[in-house]
Amino acid sequence: MPTNQNRISGQKSDLPVLRFLRWVFFLLLFLAIGIPYAWAENPVVKVGVYENAPKVFTNESGKSSGIFIDIIEYIAKSEGWKLEYVPGTWAEGLDRLERGEIDLMPDVALTAEREKKFSFHKIQVLSSWFQAYARKGSGLQSILDLNGKRIAILEQSVQEEAFIRFSRGFGLNVTLVSVPDYKTMFEMVARGDADAAVTNQFYGAMHARKYDLVDTAVVFEPSALFFAAPKNASPELLDAIDRHLSILKKDTRSAYYAILKRWTSEEVRFKFPAWLQIVFLIVGVVLLTSLAGSFVLKRQVNARTFELKKINREMEERIIDRTAELALAMEKAQAADRIKSAFLATMSHELRTPLNSIIGFTGILLQRLGGPLNEEQEKQLKMVYNSAKHLLNLINDVLDISKIEAGQLNVASETFNLRDAVEKVIKTSQPLADNKGLKLSAEIAPEIGTIRSDRRRVEQILLNLLSNAIKFTEQGYVRMTCEVRSDKIVIAVSDSGIGIKPEDLGILFNAFQQIESGITRKYDGTGLGLSICKQLANLLGGKIEVESEWGRGSTFSLILPLEGEKA
Amino acid sequence: MKGNILVIEDNEQNLYLVRFILEKNGYQVHAAMDGKTGIDMAVQLKPDLILLDIQLPVMDGYAVARNLRANPQISGIPIVAVTSHAMFGDRDKAMEVGCNGYIEKPINPDTFMEEVELHLLKQ
Repeated sequence: MPTNQNRISGQKSDLPVLRFLRWVFFLLLFLAIGIPYAWAENPVVKVGVYENAPKVFTNESGKSSGIFIDIIEYIAKSEGWKLEYVPGTWAEGLDRLERGEIDLMPDVALTAEREKKFSFHKIQVLSSWFQAYARKGSGLQSILDLNGKRIAILEQSVQEEAFIRFSRGFGLNVTLVSVPDYKTMFEMVARGDADAAVTNQFYGAMHARKYDLVDTAVVFEPSALFFAAPKNASPELLDAIDRHLSILKKDTRSAYYAILKRWTSEEVRFKFPAWLQIVFLIVGVVLLTSLAGSFVLKRQVNARTFELKKINREMEERIIDRTAELALAMEKAQAADRIKSAFLATMSHELRTPLNSIIGFTGILLQRLGGPLNEEQEKQLKMVYNSAKHLLNLINDVLDISKIEAGQLNVASETFNLRDAVEKVIKTSQPLADNKGLKLSAEIAPEIGTIRSDRRRVEQILLNLLSNAIKFTEQGYVRMTCEVRSDKIVIAVSDSGIGIKPEDLGILFNAFQQIESGITRKYDGTGLGLSICKQLANLLGGKIEVESEWGRGSTFSLILPLEGEKA
Repeated sequence: MKGNILVIEDNEQNLYLVRFILEKNGYQVHAAMDGKTGIDMAVQLKPDLILLDIQLPVMDGYAVARNLRANPQISGIPIVAVTSHAMFGDRDKAMEVGCNGYIEKPINPDTFMEEVELHLLKQ
């Protein structure tokens, strides 16, 4: 037996001197650290256990448990005791306690007889009473119904004595069957070996259903339950228990009440069959798995949603950025357009101003307004004059094509006499035709009168077509016809010139292209004329058509809508 | 003397050219080199015709035309715009502010007098 145990039990096999020294040591320790009782470090406390669930019992895994065990473990933990359980029956436990082999026996009802044999602490752990349990439909209602019955009862128990006293008081004749534990007792009743079992209400409430037993109205002997210690044990152990119980019982939220609730609540009273537990386990596992699965799925969905939202946000940001970029680019383009327009206007003005002088002065000199000219002077001045005119035409062409490309060439819609316009361009072109000895004529149908279009642009197109015809005709004629065909006005310029090869018709209206006709650079021009004419005609809601035979001549037709621009 | 023509033109060469042509054709020419002087001279001289350059310093030709048209004393005098502006809308704009005609620069010496006299005759 370890020395620690001896100290607790206070049972002596040591020398008196040593005992004295030990006491001094304990006293010093007590004074030094202020704990009320001077226990050595982790003293071992031996506790007897027996089967009386839920108060005290050994569970499936072989561990001692129950209300008393939980309470003593709680106390032991705070006191620093080391518990050692000694299993056995109720009677064995009491015997061991009497012999001092164990330090504590739980669940002992206090009786006068027991007080002689054992030591008890003062605050009761539980109050209990005894109750008879019987098979369902046994008809046992009151104490009187127990007459002549076989009653199972725990041997050496308080209830045994009490029941004997109790039954005698009612003059009952009962056969008592002493059994070592409550389990055997309930089994006997369930088998029919006994009619009723007398047990405490804790055990009955927990186990009756399992054995298909019911409680009867036979209730007797309320009792107070304690931990019991050997008679001669030192008071430290029991005092410690009292100290804890007094604190624990004051507070309804304490461990004590939690323990009671745990062991007396409905859930622990009924034990599910093993197969049901397995089913529950499987269902639980399946549920948990699916729960985990759905959790994982939810997380994934959330993650994807988050990702999508992020992408969406990024896209939106990008769109905003791009829109801003586009707006900026557009602004720049518009600014560039404005600059281009301003440049065109300025160039138009700046190029024309010097030409104004050149053309103007050579013009008046040629008109002899400045005085007489000799033949050589006139010839040279005519060259200057023609070159200046040509330069002016080039400038006008370049400005026109620039304006068209910038989308800035707009056409007017005005009412004017087409006959007058045609006659004017013929008159203007007459000198050119005369110079080359060509016959220039115009046939204007009688129905031609006023139309709605842009007079200046119509004249520009016709002048261009006429000058082209004259330019590419070496001999013969240039003829203009003007007539109404269905709802169109057709102004055709025909010549007896070099004509156009079929393969060249396609590129005829392209800007900057003058068809190489074997007489390279014989014909002046930028090659812009027809391109401008075509685009102007389109702007006027009309078009230009061409028919030609190589070496025989060409016919260019300006076709305009009768009622002006239809755009 | 066929008549009085006021020429409002800031370019000396152009002014000289126009003056030369007009004088050779028998007109008396008065010249103003800026819009403000032109308006004053128009009020003072009451010419038979005003040849108005559009590209003028400080007060441009459009403003001058509006100003001339707003003055009842001289609102009846024909105004012919002479400009090297050849962009779209120039002609319309000139007509809008009260000009009676529009001659594009560079002037064509062969047709210039015809166009000028067209407006003189209308009067």
